[in-house]
Amino acid sequence: MSNLIQGLSRLALSLTLAFSASSVLAANIAVVGGKTDDAFWNKIKKGIDDARLIVEANGGKVNYLQLQSYDNLGPDAAQLVRTAMSQKVQGIVVPNWVPEAEDEAIKAAVAAGIKVIMINAGTIEKANELGAINYVGSDEYLAGKAGGEYFAAKGQKNVLCVNTVPGAANLEARCKGVIEGITGKGGKGKQLPLPATSFGDPTAVAEAIKATLVGDKTIDGLITISAGDADSAAIGIGQANASETVKLGTFDFNEANLDRIKNGKQLFAIDQQPYLQSLLGVLMLNAYIDFGNKLPTAPVLTGPGIVDASNIDATLAGVKKGAR
Amino acid sequence: MSSSSSSLSISGLLRRPEAGAFLGLLGVLIFFVIFGSMEFLKPSGAASWLNVAASLGIIALPIGLLMIAGELDISIGAMIPAGSMTVAILSGHYGLPIWVGILGALSFGVIIGLINGYLVIRTAVPSLIVTLGTLFAVQGIVLGLSVIITGTTSVALTAAPWAKFIFGQFVGGTFQVIIFWWLAITAVYIFVVHFTRYGNWIFAMGGDKISARNAGIPTEKLTITLFVLSSTSAAFVGMCQAILFNSAQVSAGMTFIFNSIISVVVGGVLLTGGFGSIVGIFFGTLTFAVVNQGIYFTTFDRNWSSLIIGIMLLLAVLMNNTFRRMALSYAPKKK
Repeated sequence: MSNLIQGLSRLALSLTLAFSASSVLAANIAVVGGKTDDAFWNKIKKGIDDARLIVEANGGKVNYLQLQSYDNLGPDAAQLVRTAMSQKVQGIVVPNWVPEAEDEAIKAAVAAGIKVIMINAGTIEKANELGAINYVGSDEYLAGKAGGEYFAAKGQKNVLCVNTVPGAANLEARCKGVIEGITGKGGKGKQLPLPATSFGDPTAVAEAIKATLVGDKTIDGLITISAGDADSAAIGIGQANASETVKLGTFDFNEANLDRIKNGKQLFAIDQQPYLQSLLGVLMLNAYIDFGNKLPTAPVLTGPGIVDASNIDATLAGVKKGAR
Repeated sequence: MSSSSSSLSISGLLRRPEAGAFLGLLGVLIFFVIFGSMEFLKPSGAASWLNVAASLGIIALPIGLLMIAGELDISIGAMIPAGSMTVAILSGHYGLPIWVGILGALSFGVIIGLINGYLVIRTAVPSLIVTLGTLFAVQGIVLGLSVIITGTTSVALTAAPWAKFIFGQFVGGTFQVIIFWWLAITAVYIFVVHFTRYGNWIFAMGGDKISARNAGIPTEKLTITLFVLSSTSAAFVGMCQAILFNSAQVSAGMTFIFNSIISVVVGGVLLTGGFGSIVGIFFGTLTFAVVNQGIYFTTFDRNWSSLIIGIMLLLAVLMNNTFRRMALSYAPKKK
């Protein structure tokens, strides 16, 4: 009798072990992210969907937990992390937008034995501090620096970084990077902060750029912090009769930007390649959970990816498929 | 109050509603000529504030009339991108003829204007709140539909040459053609508001709506018309922007809400309604544009731009208030 009970309990134990072992083998991954109704998060979603094929081929699954709004970004994202924990996932891929609000939830997930990879927003220092495996994303400062150095490589000497939202930390970092990139190569660079009254008014932005270029004829490179501003800048440069001398670059891109790069009217655009952020984030986490694979490269930078005349056709093909 | 003054004396001119606005404009022009350079008044320099003033002015005029009539329309902030996205999606994404896109953009403006107007007269909810609602609603519609239809939030547009010529060319290489639209539209407004009975109706509504209705003025029709004017004007400006810049994005235009109200107030319109003039709004818009763009002709550190803009606008309004008080408290000497 006692042997029977012992045997049964041994059986139950091994069953439990077997059950939990099988669930460890197939990774259950949650991705926290933004609403997919904007272009950027649509590319992130495509990265997740493409990575899902491999995760599912290995018996795992991927669940995309998206924010309903951006009104309460930090706490909402933290809440989604806790939602993922309650779903008993093995891995979480999460952008650390608001460290003050999200750090605690991410720490709790790590403490519960969940593997975490940070994508899109964060730093490798933050990832190490919280116990996350890696950070996959771009670094605004490094992206700016690459832009400044690209200008220098093309022979531009004096670069203006037009900032339509002065004070926003990520945009300031972009301009700072550009200025240090070009000055590091022996050129000059400065920021043109525009007042809030001109944000969203393309004519005001274009005219501010025109007046600045007319006032300083030595400027031969100009970079904007968003794709829409680049459309305004193209007109401003034309109005200053500076199309021959002033080369245009931008952070991010839209269809009109790519058309100009294709037609030789814009030098380049800097892309942080969001598709790669989610694709690599999910795959790396899956490989770590399933097979113990871990990249020694940390952080994994997906940007800056520079789009210029040399790769414009491939980029346009990527746009059609929703990955760029 | 708006009809012609009885005498053409200097003091008579100074008492006109637009006098303060004109002096404000003169003041900021002199400021930037002194601290900037004469470049500012030369054609290419003048274009830099005229271009900005024109698109703002086309919206500020109907906003000014609404404010004179005691209403407000802030949904224009969403109607500008709505206008530009509509024309870009219809004619850029779908490749339909440009006139279809233009018609589509303007019709969208008319529809939202009708909705705003009807909601305001039927619900008696303050127009600030009604149009705040439509502001967000239109933003949502534009963002949602753009992503569903095009998959992105920014659409490129290559307009036909004739459309580019009428709505998006640079006259003489520097002046946006929209400046001429602005001047023509201003002339029409001056005629209608100051030389027909409709103008007096609007002023009467702003003074006292109930008395105005009792006096037989069709206040409801007039209110709806004004809302249709403002949202269609905003859609028109958005459409011109898309044609000029060859591109449209969902997230533009919010700045026009404040900028147009500031222009109107700098132009001498009372926030409480019942007082103001088309010419005043015209000068107010010019003043705003000069203050905004003038900074780029000076050597001031650009980080101080907003401070200078703020102080100069405040001074312009204070100047205006002084003149309005003089005008309103003026009593002709007994003969």
